[in-house]
Amino acid sequence: MRSLPLLALFFSPSLAAAQPEPSPADVVGTYADMALAVYEDSVTTAEALKTAVDAMVAAPSPDTLGAARAAWTAARVPYQQSEVFRFGNPIVDDWEGRVNAWPLDEGLIDYVAEGTPSAEDNDLAQLNVIANPVLDLSGETLDATTITPDTIRTLHEAGGIEANVASGYHAIEFLLWGQDLNGTGPGAGNRPFTDFVTGEGCTGGNCERRAQYLVAATELLVEDLQEMVGNWGPDGEARKAVTADPQAGLHAMLTGMGSLSYGEQAGERMKLGLMLNDPEEEHDCFSDQTHLSHYYDGLGIRNVYLGRYTRIGGTEVSGPSLSELVAKSELAVDEALRADLDATMAALTGLRGKAERGMAYDQMLAPGNAEGAAAIQAGVDGLVKQTKSIERAVAVLGLNQIAVEGSDSLDNPDAVFQ
Amino acid sequence: MAAIALIRAAALVALMSGPAAADVAEAIDDVITPAYARLADAASSLDAAAQHDCSAPAMQAPFQKVWDAWAYIDFLRIGPVEEDGRALAMAFWPDPKFSGLRTQQALIAGDPGVIADPSRFAEVSVAARGLAGLERLLYPSQVAGDETAFCALRRATAADLDRMTLAIAAEWPAHAVLLQAPGDANPSYLSRDEARQALFTQVVTGLTSLADTRLGRPLGTFQKPRPERAEAIASGRSLRNITLSLTGMRDLALALHPDAPQTRAAFDRALSLSIDLDDPVLAGVANPQGRLKVEILQQAVEAARAAVEAEIGTALGISTGFNSKDGD
Repeated sequence: MRSLPLLALFFSPSLAAAQPEPSPADVVGTYADMALAVYEDSVTTAEALKTAVDAMVAAPSPDTLGAARAAWTAARVPYQQSEVFRFGNPIVDDWEGRVNAWPLDEGLIDYVAEGTPSAEDNDLAQLNVIANPVLDLSGETLDATTITPDTIRTLHEAGGIEANVASGYHAIEFLLWGQDLNGTGPGAGNRPFTDFVTGEGCTGGNCERRAQYLVAATELLVEDLQEMVGNWGPDGEARKAVTADPQAGLHAMLTGMGSLSYGEQAGERMKLGLMLNDPEEEHDCFSDQTHLSHYYDGLGIRNVYLGRYTRIGGTEVSGPSLSELVAKSELAVDEALRADLDATMAALTGLRGKAERGMAYDQMLAPGNAEGAAAIQAGVDGLVKQTKSIERAVAVLGLNQIAVEGSDSLDNPDAVFQ
Repeated sequence: MAAIALIRAAALVALMSGPAAADVAEAIDDVITPAYARLADAASSLDAAAQHDCSAPAMQAPFQKVWDAWAYIDFLRIGPVEEDGRALAMAFWPDPKFSGLRTQQALIAGDPGVIADPSRFAEVSVAARGLAGLERLLYPSQVAGDETAFCALRRATAADLDRMTLAIAAEWPAHAVLLQAPGDANPSYLSRDEARQALFTQVVTGLTSLADTRLGRPLGTFQKPRPERAEAIASGRSLRNITLSLTGMRDLALALHPDAPQTRAAFDRALSLSIDLDDPVLAGVANPQGRLKVEILQQAVEAARAAVEAEIGTALGISTGFNSKDGD
């Protein structure tokens, strides 16, 4: 920026004197602590999901299925707040596909309605593991007589196709809710509890194998999340990556905030679905809980900036923040970014409220639903606007000159010309 | 609407101080503004042709000209193309779950009022409109319907392209003003660096996307090449779109910073490989020799991206900003 607003010129030096400046090392320390807490909470809630799933499988009923669905919803609260750690941290990004891949060709896992759209050239889109104990994976035979976490691991991204999602939250979501066949009309997936009744009364066929799949997938989710907790522990690789060089750590923080805000959430997850009016583009398409995913993603972005995460038990993990650091450099940039993050949360709160009052996210995507479209667009606009402020924060902290992950040209400008 | 935007932008300029950046001005005046004018002209001709004769043979040539004009500037994702999903609607691709095809089929089967009413048609899914939608109506595709239905849908799609490209050309000058008059009162760009960074990011992102998507999708893996995943196969434009888009990016990069010999050389190399590649729909990826040629082109595009970042980014003291391709 060429000129500072007068207020910032007058008051930032005095603020600097009043408060000890947080060091970049302090700020990335808070970041790593928040990551550890959010993944620990993800494990805790995934374990609760596992308990609820075990109880449902042992005694399927509307109540136990409802409890398992509620546990899934609760498990998403911390996990979605962790998504901001994905971008900017290769350790997280490389692992993420196992736990939160989307969208999926669910016919890989279980029965689907006739005419279900699937990804182009996906030979395995109708594989239906639950109905088939022996599987032909493009010429290779897989013995799936018993469905174990290993079976699911092998099937994940089978044939090199990303839509073959066998593991993670959305595979579990599909098993708990079933396909949402209501298009952009009211109603979510409505899998009956009898899909898990063994013996007489089983619907959908292969109920025992369906239960096996669900239990194994949930077990795998817990294991995968535990792995990420380890990465952010005292000697974890992800923690080391951001604390070893605090400037690179700051860059990772802002990259995560900006990439999730713009390309991923505003673009891929919100605007695209709206422009296509296609419920196939809904993030939590089986459960119709997309509004919550978007809300907690947005909250996670703000958490990272403010250095504050409220744990599932209500306690707070907080510490020296990126916000304080940016304010020291240029108060106006910090104020604008905080205002933008708050405005986004207001928009996402509005979106969430609208869904909770009865207009599900897929209904908002319907062609001609101007009210629904406006609610989604408000979220998109907020996220796009905050991205600009995030770029300004990168600039005032002088981080735009440091190497971008994996970019040979910036790490070593001469390499290009060799 | 466009007129109001222009007046507001003009008022903003009056409020703002600071000299206009010559490099940004050249990018606008020499590259972007004329490209959008050519695009609007081509779409206007297509619309006129469609109204005159909606048969596929009559519309194919003007259709190709519109895509030529769009391919040159399709990497630019700032300003009016970002409104109402226009950039997505111009040529929606990739569409792995056939969203456009499904929507077009539903349009043919559904309320004819949507096709007949331009304002309602403008609200139809971006996947079903634009050049990708029209390609399915002018060349062999899975869309089923009789010639009457096709004719109506072709005309509606051509008219919608005319409407969108006219709006883009009309609204672009207002965004151009914002780019050239950065400052505290400017809602988009606070400084010259931010304006330069925005254009620079378009080139870097465009090259990355071209290498990863236009070339990367058909390349697939060595074990499993995916020639059927190339862009615009039916209209035979896969490679042509690549060549034109590279040309547009080269022109913008060099307008932004003409004194960039490595960048110029890297683009020249990528372009000559693309022009000399005798493989219009990249079908060659299915055999080892053909694949190698496409891989070499992909590497040349990546080298051009690296050169832009290292040479122009360093010279202007800027790095790539966030872009719409971030994420998965």
